[in-house]
Formats: sequence, C-alpha cells, structure tokens
Amino acid sequence: MSGRYLVNKLARAFLTIVAIILINFLLFRAMPGSATRLTHSPYQTQEQIDQEQHRLGLDQPLIPNQLVTYVQQTLSLDLGYSFKYKGQPVTQVIGDRLGPTLVLIGLGEIISIIVGLALGAYSGWRRGSAIDRIGGGIGLVLYSMPYFVIGMPLIIIFAAGLGWFPTSGMLTAGATYDSWSAQLFDFLRHLVLPLATVSLGLIGGYSILMRAAIAETRAEDYVTTARAKGLTDGRILRSHAFPNAMLPMVTIIAINLGYVVGGAITAEIVFNWPGIGTLTVDALSARDYPVLQGIFLMLAVTVVVANLVADMVYGLLDPRVRS
Amino acid sequence: MSAGAVVVRRPSRMRGLREFAARFSTRTDGIVGVAILTVFVILALAPALFVGPLENAVTASGLPLDPPSAAHLFGTDELGRDMLNLTVHGARISMTIGLLATVITVVVGVGIGIMSGFLGGRWDAFLMWVTDVFLVLPNLVLAIALAPILLALVGDNAELFGIRATLLVIVVVIGLTSWATTARVIRSQVLSLKERAFVDRARVIGTGSGRIMRRHILPNIINLIVAQSVLTFAYAVFTETSLAFIGLGDPFSPSWGQILNAAQEAGAPGLLAWWYIAPPAVCVVLVVVSFTLVGNALDDVLNPKSGSRR
Amino acid sequence: MTAPDTKPVTPADAAAAIRGRRQWPLPKQAVPGAPLLEVEHLSVRFRMPSGPSVKPVDDVSFRLEDGEALGIAGESGCGKTTTALSLVRLLPANGRISGGSVKLFGIDLVPKTERQLARYRWREISMVFQGAMNALNPVKRIGDQIAEPLEVRLGQPRDASLKRAGDLLELVGIPRKRASAYPHELSGGMRQRAMIAMSLACDPAIVIGDEPTTALDVMVQAQILALLEKLRKDLGLSLILITHDLSVIAETCDRVMVMYAGKVAEEGPVRRVFTAPRHPYTAKLLSAFPNIRADRRNLEVIPGAPPDLRTPPPGCRFAARCDKAMPQCTVEVPPEVRFADGVRVACHLFPPGSEGSLAGDAANLAIASSMPVATAPGEARP
Repeated sequence: MSGRYLVNKLARAFLTIVAIILINFLLFRAMPGSATRLTHSPYQTQEQIDQEQHRLGLDQPLIPNQLVTYVQQTLSLDLGYSFKYKGQPVTQVIGDRLGPTLVLIGLGEIISIIVGLALGAYSGWRRGSAIDRIGGGIGLVLYSMPYFVIGMPLIIIFAAGLGWFPTSGMLTAGATYDSWSAQLFDFLRHLVLPLATVSLGLIGGYSILMRAAIAETRAEDYVTTARAKGLTDGRILRSHAFPNAMLPMVTIIAINLGYVVGGAITAEIVFNWPGIGTLTVDALSARDYPVLQGIFLMLAVTVVVANLVADMVYGLLDPRVRS
Repeated sequence: MSAGAVVVRRPSRMRGLREFAARFSTRTDGIVGVAILTVFVILALAPALFVGPLENAVTASGLPLDPPSAAHLFGTDELGRDMLNLTVHGARISMTIGLLATVITVVVGVGIGIMSGFLGGRWDAFLMWVTDVFLVLPNLVLAIALAPILLALVGDNAELFGIRATLLVIVVVIGLTSWATTARVIRSQVLSLKERAFVDRARVIGTGSGRIMRRHILPNIINLIVAQSVLTFAYAVFTETSLAFIGLGDPFSPSWGQILNAAQEAGAPGLLAWWYIAPPAVCVVLVVVSFTLVGNALDDVLNPKSGSRR
Repeated sequence: MTAPDTKPVTPADAAAAIRGRRQWPLPKQAVPGAPLLEVEHLSVRFRMPSGPSVKPVDDVSFRLEDGEALGIAGESGCGKTTTALSLVRLLPANGRISGGSVKLFGIDLVPKTERQLARYRWREISMVFQGAMNALNPVKRIGDQIAEPLEVRLGQPRDASLKRAGDLLELVGIPRKRASAYPHELSGGMRQRAMIAMSLACDPAIVIGDEPTTALDVMVQAQILALLEKLRKDLGLSLILITHDLSVIAETCDRVMVMYAGKVAEEGPVRRVFTAPRHPYTAKLLSAFPNIRADRRNLEVIPGAPPDLRTPPPGCRFAARCDKAMPQCTVEVPPEVRFADGVRVACHLFPPGSEGSLAGDAANLAIASSMPVATAPGEARP
C-alpha cells in the first residue's frame, strides 16, 4: 500500500472532519435561542445579560470570529459547558456516559460478528437450500427491525412477563451492594436484554452481507479448482471461500462499527440504558445544545476514523493491494 | 451471439413489459412482497374507508389500555383510542413520509450520481467528497438538531399536502441522510457505462455531454434507479419509525413510529400491554421486509449479473 | 511431428511401463489390463430454470491410453469442456450425468458417491484451467496452493509438502523461491506453469487441460506446449487437451476428437483426421484456419450457428450448416462408424458397412478429398 494512497486518504479524512466541524458550528449556532440560552435567566438585568454575552464572545460576528474561536476550541477538545449540568464540561458529561454504551455496543458487536458471520457463511454456501432460505429470511426480518422493535417484545416476554430480567436501567435504582461481585451480577442481569436486542439487530445485517459475500465466492473459478482437488466442502468453505469473503466483510464491519455507536440510541431508550443514546434524548428535551453538539462531533469523527481504519486494514489484508 | 450457448450465461437485455412480467413472476419473494405492499397501499390510500376517521383524545372509543376484544380487535391505547384505527391510519402517514423522502433521495442521489460519474475528474472528486461528508453525518443526531431549526424557519404549524411541518422535517432529514448511498450506487454504474463503447461512439460523432447523459446513460440506469428507489423506500420507512420513536414525530398524525413512541412513554412494555406494541411493530417490519424483497427481486430481474460460467 | 518416434512395441507394454513408474499404487479397485480411461455413451443433463433441460453432452464415447494425448476440439458451446468436467463430476448445481460410464482403470466413476469420487480427484485426474488468474486463489501463496493437495489429500507433513511444491515449480521452470508469491505477482505464463505444477502434485495419471493456452500470447503458448510435451515424455503423463485451437492439438496431441453440438463428429489419430478429414464439419473447421505457407486465399466461414440445445434438431445436428447434407441427414442421427485407420466418424456420408471394404474406403476418401483440405495446421508453424 503506497504512502501516496495513505496520504490521500488521510487528507480526505481531515477535510471531512473540517466540514463536520463547520456543519456542527452552523447547525447549533443556528438553532433558535441557542446563544441566548447560555445566559438566559429571568432574573438577570439586561446589563448582566450583555456582560455574559460579551464574556462568552457572543457579541462578536458569527463569521469569522465566532467560527474561528469555535474551531480552535474544538481542536483543543474544549467542547464547552453543558446547559443542563451547569458547570460541567461537555467532555465530562459525554465521558461519563460513554462507558455503558461502549460495553453494550462492544459486546453486541463481538457476539453478532461471530454468530452473524457463521450463519451467513453457512447459509450462503448452501445457497438455495432450505437452510439458506430460513436463515436468509430470519436475517432479513431481523435486519428490518429497528432496535426498539426487537427490544420491546423482549421486555414484555422476559422482563415484565417472565420476570427473569429487569425491565430497564443498568443497575437497580438505589441498590447497595455487599461485594463487587454482587454489583457485577446485578449489572449482568440488566445487561442481558439490551445486549440481546443489539446483538439480534446486528446479526441480521451481518448474516445477510456475509451470505452474499460467500455466495459470490462460490461462483469463482478457484472454488472449482478446489473442488477438482477433491477437497471436502467444509474445507473449501473454510480455507478458500471464507478468507476471500472476509476481505469485503472486514471493511463493512469496520465501517459499521463507526455507525453503531450512534445507532444504538433507540436500544438505549427502550431499556433506559444510561449511555450516549439516552444522553442524546435527554439533551434534546433539555435543549442542551453544547452536549448535542459534542455528541454530533464525536459520532461523526468516529465514523470518519472507522472508515480510515477500514481502508487501511483492507490494504493490509488483500495481498493484491499490499504490493 | 452464439445461439447454441448451452449454459445460460447472461440473460439478455429485457425487452418490454411482458418479458419483465414473466421473469418477475418466477420470483416468489418478489410476489409475496408486492402482495403485502398492495394491502398496505390500499389501506394507506383511504384509511377512513376501513376504520373511520382517526380517533383522537376526544373521540376515543374505548377504555384506556384495554386488551383486544370483540369491540376493539387490537385493544386500545392509554387514551382509549382503538389500536386498529390508529394502526391503519398510521399506514397512511408512515408510507406517505416514506414516499416523499424516497422522492427527494432519488432525485438528488441520481442527479449527483450521474453528474459525478459522467463528468469525472475534479467534479467527481469534489462531489464524492461531499457525498462522504453526508455519509458520515449521524442520522439521528442530525435529525434532532435540524428539527427545531427547520421548524423555526417555517413555523410550527405550516402544512404541505396536509402534512404538518414536524413530519416534513423528518422527510427532509431522511432525504439528507440517504441520498449519498444512492449517489454512489448510481455513480459506479455510470462509470462502468462510460467505459462502454457506445458512449465513446456518441462522443466521437460529437454528441454533447447533456445529450449523452440523457439519451445514452439515463435509459441504461433506469432499471437500477427503480430497484434502488424501492430499497430506499424500505430504508425511509425504517428511519422514519426510528425518528418518530425518539420523539421527532407528530402526536397528531401518529405514524407507526409515533405510536410506538407513545407506547414507550406510557410504559406499555412494563405494563404488558403487548397490543399497544405489536400492531405498529409488525406493520413496520412487514412493510420494510416487503420493500426489501421487492427491491432485491427487481434488482435481480432488471439488472442481471452473470452467474457461474461453467 | 507429434507422435513420439520411439514408441514401445505394443500399447500394453506402454501402459505397463508407465504404470510401473507411478509414485503411488493403483487404486485398489483397478481392473488389471483395463485401458486408462474408457468413456462410453456419456450424457450430461442440465436442468434449466425455465423450459426443457439441455444435454450439452449427448452420447459421447472415447478412450485414452496410458501416455496418450487426446485433444478435444470444437467451437464454443460444443460440450468439450462439460465433457471433461463431467469426468470428475465437476458440474454446476443443476448438472447431472444422465447416462453412460466413465471407466478409469476399469473402475466406473459414474455410480460413485461424491465422497467415493473424491478419492480419484487430483490423485488420478487433475486439471489445468484456462485463465489461471481466477483459477488460483488470489489470497493464498502459490506454494501453499500447490502443497495443499499433498497435505490434505495425501496426509503429508507440511515441510515435505512445501518441499515437493518447490520441486514441482522447478520442474515447470519457475524458480523455487517464487513459491511465496501470490498469483497476481506472476505473469500469465508463469501462472499457467504454476497451475501445471499444481496439477502434478499428486502424480496423477491424467491431466486435463481446459484451454490452457488460450489466454496467453503466442510465444508463451509455445513454451507452455513444449513444457507439456516434455512432462508427458518424462513422466508418462496422459493428457486431455480441450481447445478450439486446432494448431495446439496438431502440435501436442496423438489423437483428436472433434465435437459438435454435444456429439462426437469425428475422432482419430491427429495426422489422419487433419490431413484427410471425413466429417464435413472437421473439414470446415480445418479450412477455417489460415495456412501460413499456402497461397493467400479466403478463409472459409461456416454459415449459420450451432443449434439451440434446448430444442435439438432431429437427425444430424450439423445438417443445417452442412453443404453435403442429404435428405436423410435431417431425419436420422448418423451412427458411429469405425475405420481401419483408427478414425471414428458419425456422418451419413459414411454409413455402416462402408468401413469394411477397401474399395468403399477409397470411394469415401475420394468424396472426402473433394472437400477443401488444409495441410495440417501444425505443419504451418515455423
């Protein structure tokens, strides 16, 4: 993979991030009442309001002064202060909620990659068979279900109905624990249904994509060669088809990882999981624009970085690109 | 072309509606999809015909959160409104939003895709970069951010085609976030068409760019556009449901997502009010799956790719 | 030209000599004294998604002896590739052998299950495909791909397999150290050589080459053909070469089988068939090849196109395009007739009974000689 290719990709990624920052700025500054919100209070006199505005630089012209200030601050990771959580920097607010989301998404991705790829590979290899139709059908249905459509029935059946798991939250509200293992157990109990929801949702997508990728390799000439060699079907799938199918799949997985963080919002809402998703919704109803802005930036940058990583990983994996 | 080709290598270009109908009729998945969609389209066109006017808090016909019964086949919501009534009306709203969003997506996506693919060079590079930027924007957060802005622009109560501004915001947001994928798909097809001889020949005789785009490239990608549109529709309904669930919908025009939002707010899952959740959920899944099936079937029939060569 | 000058006295001796040099023992079920490969009345059927099924191979018979090279010639779609693939049942999902037998060392492979058949794949019959770029796995090194059948099929340890892979590469003229290369890092000719090396891994009795030189330029083509010839002599390999290029067959093969629309038109020693073709199609095929030494003349074109095999015409399938067609030809399928010089033909010009008498034979050859006859294309090569 040539250095030139790499530099190109990096430059593009950088430009994209610049565009994101710009959009972010315009978007949230354009939001009605966003500037005055910083200083709004019915008890302030006009003079005090003007003072605040001046202190925060809000009386400066939007472009270029405010923009430049904003870009500078963003690049130095100063994302401002939350409206709702007075005094807390946005980075801290987001940081506190990042953990639960990462745990949920991280585990969900691991499970769904393993299960989804296996299902898809097996299904795509036996294209047209009963197993394929059933597997493909289930995958399609899961893929068409938003997280909350998967989650709500799960709650009804397993939480409210059978009572095996709690209906919401990450930990039991107001609980005290004798030991860390008790806390861990409580956490795990709360994790099961949200994790199942996210996993099922992702399995749908991965199995469909893997199925298509494997089915495509099946038609390739090197598979015919492998059959001519008298290799067993299983060996051909594992040793020949799978590695080739994984090339596009790795790219897809990497890119998907970028999106998934933002996409789990609805899953978090259903289970009231204290992550970025619920933070977003809370910030929406509290009109907490700095936090929303921070989340926007974080999610977009994550996707850009994920795309970059996907490109590089592909370049490392595919011997045709390596040289 | 050798007429004695024994193994069907590549179905020849489609000629006419009859051949299309014949090919499509072999796809059971496509037919099932069309059948299901037809039902929903009929319901969506005239919901009042089937279940009467949309019930609201005032005209609610039943007790709050009543399970399904003879009087209310799907039970009632927390305001006592008949779920069947809500669900059928929801079809109209969800499908209309989906349709409008698809139109925007396809028009913008195809336009940019053709231009980018055909013009090439710097234009292509620039447009693809713009596409990249839109592709990385986080859907839901963007919607959350845009909604109040757009509402402030047009005023809370503006209406277009009888659809309130809040819902139009969703249409715009879906369009903004999904045109990029369509543009890429169209662009790659245009790129491969550009390589084909007939475009070069047209150029050599001096045909202008615009004419080439219209008369040579466009007809060859109509098939792709059709298949893509159907798949976009699936995505649009899916996304609308999610956006409405988050709270960006319009409580007065409850789409399926909005109904589910209300269900969540009312605590339906915890209250075991499955009838509040099942109808809109099942409808969403049915519609999205059907659109996807039809879209894939169309794609296979209209854009044949050569299979195994042996 | 092609037939080796120093031939052992009888075919049986040749067979014994070659079989004696095998690295691995004969299959347990082998029938002593049986010919290497005997295909009788082989038919293949493809089930089509809509409409009637197609028979790309219809009642094809031929025989291959040890150390022989048989060329299968014909236009695209005549069934030559399908015939070869069906020997090891490498048919697509909708394909089936619908009749006939394929006897390897007297063992009929047709009734065997997939598992039983796997024993014979690559170890007795291996293949070299056209366009080795796609036929080789792009993400595996060629050394590994060559070693794979050794490890997996023969259970050899990895280092031994890799070493043998290196030996095979050297045998085909590729430096041993290139074993760590990926297919895309090799030139077209080298890839084809690598495929040949791979096909030899398990010391097979028969190597089938499906258009092995079609994708290559002429110079490389000559090298590959020379390599195949050398390997044949040194290893006692039997070859089945499938190609539409008659000059390749003239260069490398002992016998040739001309196929048309799924059936055998003519089959026999290359010299005989190419200098005195009996079947009108063979003659036309030969005259379609330019002769570099002869005077400039117009190349013959066979008008029309091969029949649609979904609805094969009654009678002889070539009748519609044959300028020697008789009324009988569109009614009755011509039976196969075997001549004293080792040639088989299926054409009503040579009805059963005409092969017996010398006079009949001469008369037939006179008819044949009235057709434009090219010099054997091989002779034209510098």
